Amino acid sequence: MADNVIEARGLLKTYGSQRAVDAIDLDIQRGEIFGLLGPNGAGKTTTILMMLGLTEISGGTVQVLGFNPVREPLEVKRRVGYLPDAVGFYDHLTAHENLAYTARLLAIPRSQSGRRIMEALESVKLADVAGKRVATFSRGMRQRLGIAEIVMKQAEVAILDEPTSGLDPHATFELLEMIRGLKRAGVAVLLSSHLLDRVQSVCDRVALFNKGKIALMGTVVQLANQVLGAGHPFLVEAQGADIAGALRGIEGVQTVVPEGEGGWRVMADRDVRAAAAQRIVSVGGSLTRLADLQPSLEEVYTRYFQEARHAA
Amino acid sequence: MRCLTALLAFLLATLAVGTSFAQGDTPKGLFLTTDYPSQTVRAGEVTTIRLKLTNAGLPPEPVSLALKDVPAGWKIDILGGGQAVAAAMPGVNQDVALQLRVDVPKDAKPGSQKILISAKGPIAQSVELPLTLTVGTEAPAKLSIKSRLPSLRGTPRSAFEYTVTVGNDSGKDLTVALSAQGPANFQTTFTEGYGSNEISSIPIEAGQTKDIKVKVTPPRDVKAGDYPVLVKVASEGATAELRVTLQVSGQGRIALSTKDGRLSGEAEVGKASTYTLVLSNDGTAPIEEVEMSGTVPTNWKVEFNPKTIASLAPGEKKDVQAVVTPADKAIAGDYVASFRANGRGESASADFRITVTTSTLWGIVGVGIIAVALLVLLGAVARFGRR
Amino acid sequence: MPRSAVRVGSPFTGLAPVFMKELSDHLSSMRMMVLTLFVIVFGALPVGFALQDLRNVVVSDPYLFLRIFTVTPERVGLSFIVALNFIIPLMAIGLGFDSVNSEFNRRTLSRVLSQPIYRDALLLGKFLGGLTTLAVALVALWLIVLGAGLLLLGLPPRGVEVARGIGFLVVAIAYGGVWLAVAMLFSVIFRSTATSALCALGLWLFFFILWPMIASAITIGFAPAQVTSIDQYVAIQELGLALQRLSPGTLFSEAVVGLLNPETRTLGFMLPMQMRGAIPEAPLPLDQSLILIWPQLTGLVAGMIVVFAVAYVVFQREEVRA
Repeated sequence: MADNVIEARGLLKTYGSQRAVDAIDLDIQRGEIFGLLGPNGAGKTTTILMMLGLTEISGGTVQVLGFNPVREPLEVKRRVGYLPDAVGFYDHLTAHENLAYTARLLAIPRSQSGRRIMEALESVKLADVAGKRVATFSRGMRQRLGIAEIVMKQAEVAILDEPTSGLDPHATFELLEMIRGLKRAGVAVLLSSHLLDRVQSVCDRVALFNKGKIALMGTVVQLANQVLGAGHPFLVEAQGADIAGALRGIEGVQTVVPEGEGGWRVMADRDVRAAAAQRIVSVGGSLTRLADLQPSLEEVYTRYFQEARHAA
Repeated sequence: MRCLTALLAFLLATLAVGTSFAQGDTPKGLFLTTDYPSQTVRAGEVTTIRLKLTNAGLPPEPVSLALKDVPAGWKIDILGGGQAVAAAMPGVNQDVALQLRVDVPKDAKPGSQKILISAKGPIAQSVELPLTLTVGTEAPAKLSIKSRLPSLRGTPRSAFEYTVTVGNDSGKDLTVALSAQGPANFQTTFTEGYGSNEISSIPIEAGQTKDIKVKVTPPRDVKAGDYPVLVKVASEGATAELRVTLQVSGQGRIALSTKDGRLSGEAEVGKASTYTLVLSNDGTAPIEEVEMSGTVPTNWKVEFNPKTIASLAPGEKKDVQAVVTPADKAIAGDYVASFRANGRGESASADFRITVTTSTLWGIVGVGIIAVALLVLLGAVARFGRR
Repeated sequence: MPRSAVRVGSPFTGLAPVFMKELSDHLSSMRMMVLTLFVIVFGALPVGFALQDLRNVVVSDPYLFLRIFTVTPERVGLSFIVALNFIIPLMAIGLGFDSVNSEFNRRTLSRVLSQPIYRDALLLGKFLGGLTTLAVALVALWLIVLGAGLLLLGLPPRGVEVARGIGFLVVAIAYGGVWLAVAMLFSVIFRSTATSALCALGLWLFFFILWPMIASAITIGFAPAQVTSIDQYVAIQELGLALQRLSPGTLFSEAVVGLLNPETRTLGFMLPMQMRGAIPEAPLPLDQSLILIWPQLTGLVAGMIVVFAVAYVVFQREEVRA
């Protein structure tokens, strides 16, 4: 596991007796997009701040790119780009000036900074508004400017806190493209979100936060298998005879649950869609829809917290 | 009626005269007198002769005056109160001053002339005064000068004041010029009797004397010794001289200064500062028992080392240390301290401007306060720093 | 404990960019222009009238130039230094009341702090930036006064006057520093810029209007009914002075009077007997004037440092997240 850019072991944050982050273990690998998911107040932002050395660590250790953010926060912050939740820029300065200030804070030589700023702005499609005041920027443009800052910084790790919140679908789409672009550039991306379907599309792996703990961690499929059970779910919409009975008769089908008017959710241990179609037709039913159900993170999430509530 | 009254008055008067004579007491009646009934007059000059008409015990009445036997060419007037008069009226037991103005012609021959002056009252009272005027030659002007104390003793700074009496021994009024001759740089002034105005000449009436003060000021650096000063009076060819002598004894003179002449210095609050004063004797005689003293602001201290000097010879200089300690609570700024040297009869003082500076100790305390504040900040940095 | 872990790297990393940014922000801001206008109205008016008065003075005064600052013109009734006594806090509060909380509110704080700098550098850079802005404004004002003096009085200031003037500048900057630190403290404590401005201005009004009354009330309260000795009298007077000196404005005006009026011998209470033998109107040499005002100057500097330290501690303990 030498390629882990972030390693947290027993990371703990307490506010008085309350445990905001409760002894989590977390590994993030080079070049992956890792999603920290969970409801607001689950401890995602606190975890991020601890990784950056911006808040005290109550216990455990965290290593970012081999540096301890407690001891060497400057080294960590030099290499890690951070896009805070609802990032703010200095409104009275232009996009270029805002980045120039960051460049000075990063001690980027003057000879390089101009070029790097323009390249970064171009990469997020803000080059044409580089000379405009940030006050005129939309929310999406500000988020993109935040990404540009990370690009300019040439960070090895990008930590994005709720990058898509408050964005319209188009802006969200653009932003996710840019996050993928970061990954293509070899940057490990850690992003936190409570908007699951957005995250699902870009994340390689996710960690599900609940009350300061990581409830689940892995790829979306792994999580689905874990929470929703392993197997191949698919949706059947048909009219006619006893569709449910016919479906249950197929070998490998485990459960058939009616879903809506004339629809069933089928869970099988292997891909039995071809057999199901054949069977429906053979029993005289008219098949209107047969859809493979990708395991949805939202589903995982909902299910998991339902179960957690039941268990509690 | 009037005749009767006059007669009665006359009878009474004669009676009174008779009574007074009978008693052999002060004479009663009318008298015309002069001090010098026989006088010398000079040809071509005007001589004034004083007369006195006295009424002894008679009722006042106008007395007509007349001259008899006036030589040819002479002009004689009877004057009263500066005017020519023909009658006078002395009160009871009073007299009237009269002058006889005698204008002797230039060609008057030498020899005696008799003149009769008569005074005649309305009631047969008549007196006469015969005067003998001898036309003679002019007497020369003559002056005299003398002093009761022609030799005085003193120091170079003493005032040598001689009172001299100048007399006009001639028969006429003179204006006398005053002068004096002394050694170089001796200054001489003349003042009249008790006046304060300097004078260079003085009028003296014939036969009178006047007291004049001669003040001689020797130069300050005069050596001890006897110095003569010749006082001269002169008028119309007559002169008189008087030699007065100044016996100048030696005198010490103290001067108080510093080596470089600067009469200022600095002193720190509560700390003794030493200033070196130079005491010198610029005089001509030694000064004994010089004692140093000083006046300083309240709560200050001043000491001298040495406090007293037994003797300071002429021309000698001695260093004296003045140790001044400003009060503990003195405020910075400039102050005046007076240093004084008192010898026997001699003293000198010098005002010294002392600039008091406060200690820089509080400055260091102030830096300390800042240092403590910085330590607080550094402590905060150590405790909460680098986040 | 992680708290005891020694962090590496200089706490001043990034101080210079923060400082430069704050300086350029201040100098180009609308607020600075308003403050400058304010200063010109309240500062230039007394100076102008003072110069007119001084031109009619025929008595030769070795410190004529310094009188520009201290003379109270007949028509305005306000000398330049009295005007500065309340302008400087206002400027400092104007520069500092939103320095930290506006970063919170604009959500720039966590982004800036995720760059390789410590908070130390951010706060210190902001403070130094504000202080330098204040210094620039005061130096400019000072030069304007000097230039106007040259023009209208037609004579150059002497070296010692310039030296005293520079001392005055230092005192004025330290005084501004105290209020800047106070304003920054409030900007750290309160997230709302309005609250912070209100508190800073409230404190300013308190020290200017209420504190003299409170101080004299306390003094009267402590004074015995019957003052029996001089020592007692002196003690009461000194208590009153000590209380007054808790106000930075008192320290400022005392220090300025000591510097600009060379005849000032003491700033404290003085018995008449202490003046016996003193030569009146004799100016103190510069070094003595400096010693005289040294406690006031060090008090201001130390106060500035302590208030900044408090602001620093509060800021360091705060959470970054908005």
